[in-house]
Amino acid sequence: MAAREPAKRIIQQVRPILSVDREEARQRVINLYKAWHRTAPFIVEKFDIPKSVPQVRQKLKEEFIKNKDVSDVRVIDMLVIKGQMELKEITKIWKQKGHIMRYWQESIEYKPNDFLSKFMSGHN
Amino acid sequence: MDGYVARKELCLNKIHNMSGIAKKATGLTGLAVNANPHYYLTALYGKILRAVSKMPQDAAYRRYTEQIVNDRMLAVNNHKDVKELEKAIGNGQAEELILQAEKELILARKMLGWKPWEPLVKNEPPTQWQWPPAEKKQIA
Amino acid sequence: MSSILRSISCGLRNGLVKNSGVFSFARRFKSEEIPEEETRPTVRKFDNVQRSNLTDFGKYVAECLPKYVQKVQLTAGDELEVLIAPDGVVPVLQFLKDHHQAQFENLVDIAGMDVPSRPYRFEIIYNLLSLRYNSRIRVKTYTDELTPIDSCNDVYKAANWYEREIWDMYGVFFANHPDLRRILTDYGFEGHPQRRDFPLSGYVELRYDDEKKRVVCEPLELAQEFRKFDLEAPWEQFPNFRHANPATEEIETGNKEEK
Repeated sequence: MAAREPAKRIIQQVRPILSVDREEARQRVINLYKAWHRTAPFIVEKFDIPKSVPQVRQKLKEEFIKNKDVSDVRVIDMLVIKGQMELKEITKIWKQKGHIMRYWQESIEYKPNDFLSKFMSGHN
Repeated sequence: MDGYVARKELCLNKIHNMSGIAKKATGLTGLAVNANPHYYLTALYGKILRAVSKMPQDAAYRRYTEQIVNDRMLAVNNHKDVKELEKAIGNGQAEELILQAEKELILARKMLGWKPWEPLVKNEPPTQWQWPPAEKKQIA
Repeated sequence: MSSILRSISCGLRNGLVKNSGVFSFARRFKSEEIPEEETRPTVRKFDNVQRSNLTDFGKYVAECLPKYVQKVQLTAGDELEVLIAPDGVVPVLQFLKDHHQAQFENLVDIAGMDVPSRPYRFEIIYNLLSLRYNSRIRVKTYTDELTPIDSCNDVYKAANWYEREIWDMYGVFFANHPDLRRILTDYGFEGHPQRRDFPLSGYVELRYDDEKKRVVCEPLELAQEFRKFDLEAPWEQFPNFRHANPATEEIETGNKEEK
């Protein structure tokens, strides 16, 4: 307990962005996720992308999972803020089809890194 | 209150028109001529002084604001003619003086919440304002 | 501030404001002596009268707002800078805007600055202009990536887009901003380009893909020699100027003793 005291004080010293504790930050993340989740049919319809609603939701999940190890409340808040801004860019249709398709990064050719694929592509 | 102001303005307008010194415009967009600046200025300065008097006696903001406002109040009382008044204060037209007073009043009321006369909230980290910037090892 | 002096001389001539506060105000804050003419070689000579006026005004601001002002200094001879704690952005700007003796009604610009070696790496710089007194002042504060700064949108309407720009370029979050979102970068752009650790070339490149019939975004591939990012301060490459005239001169405010 004694070891936790100074850590607590440091946390109190910094100014919170939105959330004061972990639980509140978690709630914000879940709310954001739900909002995105509900937007999936809208995205498919409005932007006319060659993806289905489940595919969009799968991508959404992947994007959230990318940051699953973030533990600092303020970093979570910052990510939530950026996520909200991105969601707004989509619902207002400021983004265009190309911007949406960027999430899938289909055009990137990943460099071969294991032996067999290196061999197949002619690299040594 | 408003009716009283309106009647007083009407009355003063008449006087001005009779003496032929009615001001047509301030020359500044969006700023209408005020028929009775003395009345407004006195009221506003009174309000500022009342707001400021809630601050601690030795607060610098209070002292300086009281000084400025008292001097302007004195000028308002001493000079019945608007032109003379503007010249005495030397900070623009009477309408602008009213604007300034309104702003000072709002500021003074906000200051009561902010309490800027208290000691410094937070010192800067040691090398924060150093220029050219300090190396990282110097900080550690 | 020069107009304070003007009004004094005007008042003396007319004998109207003999006991006026403007007079005693200026006398109280008048420096004991006006320094001598600048003789050292310089690109731009500054006005000594204006300089002493600014010094007095800097002291005045520091005395009125001891809670927020950390330091007052003159830069480049005759530019007044007030360095404040991050909590004081709104009070200080409101004071400078609305106070009778300041009337800095114009927000000329908000700038950002990134110095990665500092504990609070970002500086936020507000440039203000007082049309009434024909005078400029600079207010500086500091923050880091995760500490929000109060938006001064309620004080200056002009701050709206400037703060969006700072958010976009540096990633400084402004609390209570009515419409904080990107302003210069493209939708979907990641990162904040004005940060010192953001590579000059960026992380991604865009091209039109003929098969997909749209613009695609790909990670940038750079030759190794372009990957060397020189983070050294450029002024260290001019050792002759290391002992040049100091860029800033601190003004003693009298607040320091209380610490």
